[in-house]
Amino acid sequence: MRFLAVTFGHTMRNMLLTWKSQCMTLFTVSLSVLIFSFFYLVYANALQVSASLDDDLRLIVYLDEAPSPPMQAQYRSKILKFDQVEKIEFISSQDAYQRFEQALGTNADVLTGVPEDFLPPSIEVYPIRSLDSLSRIKRFSDYLQTLPGVLKVQYGKQWIDRFHSFIQLIRVVIILSGALLVMTTTFMVAHTIRLTLVSRQQELELLRLVGATNNYIRTPFLFEGALQGFIGAASGMGALLLLYNWIKLQFAGPATTTLPFTFLSWPVIGLLIGLATLLCILGSFSAIRRFTRL
Amino acid sequence: MASTTIPPDVMIDLIKVSKTYPPEVQALVDVSLSIQRGEIVYLTGMSGAGKTTLLRLISRMEKPTKGMIDVAGFDLGKLPQRNMHLLRRKIGMAYQDFKLLPERTVADNIAIAMEVLYTPKRTMERRTRELLEQLDLSHKYATRAGELSRGEQQRVTIARAVANVPEIILADEPTGNLDGETTARVMDLFYRLNRKGSTLLIATHDTRLYRHDKDRVIELRFGRLQSAAQTRVIKAEDQPETTEIQEGL
Ligand SMILES: Nc1ncnc2c1ncn2[C@@H]1O[C@H](COP(=O)(O)OP(=O)(O)OP(=O)(O)O)[C@@H](O)[C@H]1O
Ligand SMILES: [Mg+2]
Repeated sequence: MRFLAVTFGHTMRNMLLTWKSQCMTLFTVSLSVLIFSFFYLVYANALQVSASLDDDLRLIVYLDEAPSPPMQAQYRSKILKFDQVEKIEFISSQDAYQRFEQALGTNADVLTGVPEDFLPPSIEVYPIRSLDSLSRIKRFSDYLQTLPGVLKVQYGKQWIDRFHSFIQLIRVVIILSGALLVMTTTFMVAHTIRLTLVSRQQELELLRLVGATNNYIRTPFLFEGALQGFIGAASGMGALLLLYNWIKLQFAGPATTTLPFTFLSWPVIGLLIGLATLLCILGSFSAIRRFTRL
Repeated sequence: MASTTIPPDVMIDLIKVSKTYPPEVQALVDVSLSIQRGEIVYLTGMSGAGKTTLLRLISRMEKPTKGMIDVAGFDLGKLPQRNMHLLRRKIGMAYQDFKLLPERTVADNIAIAMEVLYTPKRTMERRTRELLEQLDLSHKYATRAGELSRGEQQRVTIARAVANVPEIILADEPTGNLDGETTARVMDLFYRLNRKGSTLLIATHDTRLYRHDKDRVIELRFGRLQSAAQTRVIKAEDQPETTEIQEGL
């Protein structure tokens, strides 16, 4: 108990002594955490979106007329000649119409008077879900285009391609901003603690002379680092939450009320704050280790 | 000589200790000295004779160039940095240059020695007031140390040195800036601590301090410890009023 009180007293005195650079450090730490966790948030959401994106992997082959059962068998074998697929489904004009009607839901009455066969019949090809088949999807589509009776082949090609390169990019950005986070926080914390050490040098030397243990001298500085890390990271997270809500407000028109975005989960928030705190403790440790070897 | 065989009642033991400051200042030369538990020893010598150096070696603020030092059972040559506090807690030192923190109050400056032992706040406060009372400084309790006169600062450094009732008290010129009455108060405090078991080593020019015949006085001359006989002679020369011995007790 007394230990805590004494340590806390020293920590507070330290922080008051160098409050200007304390503020700078807090700002830097929270900004770094904000940048890093922002990209991480984007990444996490992108991953989530990509998981729900599987449907878009299918290729839709529009035909000029509904194939008879023997034709269907022929199509099937030709498709399988190119690649193994997960599923092949034949959709008649009527099936397409019904789906569309269902998709419209309560707005289905706009379809009144529209003939049931206004949508062309099609074959839906579901490739095997793997990155490999994803990369070959363009060639697959080109191949399907050459089959007889095919009007047009469609898949979410640009969408998917772009999305995947986007995820790759975000990964790189996360690594970079993570490195930035590590460097700035440890550097800034080490820097402020060195300032405090210098401003209290006389006292620290005296403490040694009157019999303070190494821990007595060090703990307040480690505590200071931990406080900077925790407060900085927590306010960075707070800023991220504000930013997130603001962005959500910008996107949320009445039509798209259900955006697929989610904020970071509590364990992830805790982990990020904990990591930042740990980094700051390491920063302060590196600063005092060199200094307290009197 | 084997330091392990030193009897437990030897508090400070120096064997052929030399200290040379770069480039070639011989502050101490072959000093051998043994101080028993509970002794009061006065260390005299001209300015620059090496008194402060000797005290700094004993408190391990400085390493000897040669020789062995044993303090309170610690062989200082083998004491690792991480165990330094064990030695320092046995020693209270009143520094010649005071080493006070000028921005902190008198009370804080004294309490710092107790705080490193996690002494409860109330005990710290009581002890601080008690010491200030004894040294006639009660009215300066909350004054910043930097605002004190030299004599007052001197008393604060003494109070800090003795706050924990350490086994060994090293006082470097403790009465250099004090008048007769205040000197008596300081000596009174030292005697009381001595009765409680503290061993005292007092570096001083002040011949008033060691009038008693039973007092052990040692002298440094140009870094060399004079033999006891020589010191006696000097003492006798310096002090005609040896008749006061009996009264003083
Ligand atoms: N850090 C140092 N570096 C170099 N020389 C030093 C150092 N400290 C002391 N000396 C030298 O060592 C010698 C002894 O100094 P010391 O301070 O021990 O003397 P002293 O007996 O305490 O003197 P005084 O009575 O004036 O306090 C002096 O010649 C001094 O110049
Ligand atoms: Mg001196």
